[in-house]
Amino acid sequence: MSLIRRNLSGVLVLGIPILWIGLFMLLPYGIIVTYSFWVKKYPTFAPAFQLGNYLTLFSDPQYLRVMGRTLKISVLVSLASAALAYPFAYWLVFRCRSAKLRTWLYMAVIAPLWVSYLLRAYVWKTILGTEGVLNSFLQWAGVISEPSSIFLYNQFAMVLTLTYIFIPFMVMPIYTALEKIPVNLTEAAADLGMNPWRAFWTVTLPLSTPGLAAGFTLTFCLSFGDFIAPFLVGGPDGNLMANVIATQFGAALNWPLGSALAIVMLVVVLTIVSLSDRMERKGMTGGV
Amino acid sequence: MVNATYVGSNDDFAPKLMAGGGVYDLITPSIDTTKLMIDLDFVEPLDTAKIVNWAKIYPKFLALDGIQKDGAYYGMPYVWGAIAFMYRDDAFATPPSSIADLWNPDLAGKVSLWDDKSSIYVAARLNGDMDIYNLSDEQIAAAQAKLVEQKPLIRKYWATAGELVDLYKAGEVVISNTWAGYQSALLAAEGIKVTEFIPTEGAEGWMDSWMVVKGTPNAECAYKFLNMQLSELGQCGVANINGYSVTNPEAAKNCMSPDEFTALHQDDPAYLDSLMAWQPLGERFEAYTNAWNAVKAQ
Repeated sequence: MSLIRRNLSGVLVLGIPILWIGLFMLLPYGIIVTYSFWVKKYPTFAPAFQLGNYLTLFSDPQYLRVMGRTLKISVLVSLASAALAYPFAYWLVFRCRSAKLRTWLYMAVIAPLWVSYLLRAYVWKTILGTEGVLNSFLQWAGVISEPSSIFLYNQFAMVLTLTYIFIPFMVMPIYTALEKIPVNLTEAAADLGMNPWRAFWTVTLPLSTPGLAAGFTLTFCLSFGDFIAPFLVGGPDGNLMANVIATQFGAALNWPLGSALAIVMLVVVLTIVSLSDRMERKGMTGGV
Repeated sequence: MVNATYVGSNDDFAPKLMAGGGVYDLITPSIDTTKLMIDLDFVEPLDTAKIVNWAKIYPKFLALDGIQKDGAYYGMPYVWGAIAFMYRDDAFATPPSSIADLWNPDLAGKVSLWDDKSSIYVAARLNGDMDIYNLSDEQIAAAQAKLVEQKPLIRKYWATAGELVDLYKAGEVVISNTWAGYQSALLAAEGIKVTEFIPTEGAEGWMDSWMVVKGTPNAECAYKFLNMQLSELGQCGVANINGYSVTNPEAAKNCMSPDEFTALHQDDPAYLDSLMAWQPLGERFEAYTNAWNAVKAQ
């Protein structure tokens, strides 16, 4: 009786997630892989087994160019997020004396996640536009005499918007990693004659690598798959991989090529995730 | 009650319908896309006997290939117009008159172009290739190069009607192509003075047709809607709200003011001949979209 019950609960606890993953993740991946070998044929496309789509991706320069641009934007977003989030999280954990203030500031970073992504991206248009808030302010302050168009509809605007939107995903893991570091470790380092900078570089930073790596992975992957920012604040040179995929599935009616693009993108993301996983493990074992 | 879904361009119809049936009863693709809908087997032949005003439609629309197959009609011509060009009055001392004005370096960062394969048609005409729906690979490549050359001048490629209106409103752009009659009216309502023009290189013409989606359970209701759309109520409704010309001149005459009738070229079917009416690209569709994607990837 209890054995049956245990089996039943085992099936429920493990079976449903496995079924979910199989049905909604593995099966769709399988379908996308299958499509990626098909061929475009008017009016739509036809089953086949050939590598033409993958060949196109690596021979037609337009795809490599967009791939390079997407990598560049994603790395810049991750770097900018890390540069802003790390000092902030460090200050919160080690310097902020009031627990209440710490909680409030932490919540202030997380709270924007409750607001629709689309809305937050859209707001940047009204800030950065030629007749936007930023231009009005700079003109009022006398910094510029004519409104400038350099803020919006370019890659800078995309990096800025994406950094703003995804930065909570950098703050959270770094904060958690720093919080776990016992204060007496840095105190011990000080006792042994290390100055604060050296203590930071040799003790705190290595111990927080897992958080940094997790934050990097999250912000990178989220930016890598983004297609709203190019649409809203990107300029004519703003097309990213996800936009190209959307075009292939949409306007171009070329699902096979779109699928091949999606697979290539998946491989890139999986590579990054496994690299960061290795880094996190190294951080955990090498540190303590 | 009608539930409407809007598309940003004609290339959105096929993906929306491919995502699965049962959602749409009726669609209004343009004459470059109607053939694809028929070839994809997404639409039903029309029972024209059930459409009261069918015989009143301009004969030149009923003669178009794109809405027929094997002797049956699949599309009911509904509205038409031009893909004109448009500029902000206060930005030009001499009004622009040519497509070349969208390549004028003085307007760097102030130009917008529709994010659509039709940009290839625009660049081809600038290159002097006037048979825009039958371009050779070399001519498409030349159009692509021309568009790449224009890229530094582009502020943003507009993807929806509303986006172009916003770009003018926010002072971002001063010249672009446009769905004639529609965006200029929205801008006029906002107090922004713009003028539409047909460039010396000509403009494309479009005509939208209602098509009944295959297997709709609401066929009877759909025909009621088609009849309404071709009546005075439907024809003047779209003319007044969207600023488009309509396909039933008799209804237009009855419900439009004489000025509006003339302004929308309802009295002048020859105007339509001066436009380069969109055509289905068939097998060549891929070459056009691929070139346009390459421009955007640059």
